[in-house]
Amino acid sequence: MRHQDDQWLKEIYRDIFPRVAAMVRRMGGDLDMAKDIFQDAVIIYLEKQRQHTLPEQAPAMAYLVGIARICCVRKLKREGEHISLEQVPEEMVIPADYYAPAPVQRPLLDYIKATGKRCLELLRAFYYDDLSISEIASDFQFKNPHTVSVQKYKCLEKVRTQLQQMDYAETVS
Amino acid sequence: MRKQLADTREIEQYLEQQMPAASRLLFQVRMLLDPMIKEKVAAQRKVLQLVRWLGREEKKKQLDQVFGQLMQDETFHHTITTIFK
Repeated sequence: MRHQDDQWLKEIYRDIFPRVAAMVRRMGGDLDMAKDIFQDAVIIYLEKQRQHTLPEQAPAMAYLVGIARICCVRKLKREGEHISLEQVPEEMVIPADYYAPAPVQRPLLDYIKATGKRCLELLRAFYYDDLSISEIASDFQFKNPHTVSVQKYKCLEKVRTQLQQMDYAETVS
Repeated sequence: MRKQLADTREIEQYLEQQMPAASRLLFQVRMLLDPMIKEKVAAQRKVLQLVRWLGREEKKKQLDQVFGQLMQDETFHHTITTIFK
């Protein structure tokens, strides 16, 4: 499966993580918090890059440090610190569902992961990695693009049915 | 495409806001009249949330591994631990 190149990730850790870590330290955080904040910033950056919602020609360094600061302030505020956060520019807004809890409970999550690994990978390629049909056909070794679309809908239907059945079972019990 | 898959595709178009305004309105009326469709829409929305959540979890694992590898590097390790001394 296509993943962000480890080499690129190593470079940004080397170049940018020390700056983010120093900022988190100044704000009163520890190494674990700096790691979490940096991970969040990288993930949000990559999502916005795939959705083409990054500001034009924004250097990765400036964006990552900026979003990390916003994530850090948010985390400290949740822990009760009184820190004010100035108006956040639209391109730096954290996705609304980013800090939401898992949409399904752990036992169901494990069940879906165990029974539908390939389906989840296919759906991730479509809806999270935003890969094209031809990239997915090649990664998943489908013969033609039409098969990819049909398979995607079958997978959506399969996982959706599992969720509905579990919801029903919970309601009945 | 069989009926069930056609429904799934239609729900996807609704959730991804890829439906023309008139079809969207019609679909909303259908949801009001048919609780089954409404349930399917809610469950399919949850599938998309789940896929996004799992995508982020996987990415965090990858980032953890990269960080772990880098911390084996003496210079990087020193730079980071010095910040938190």
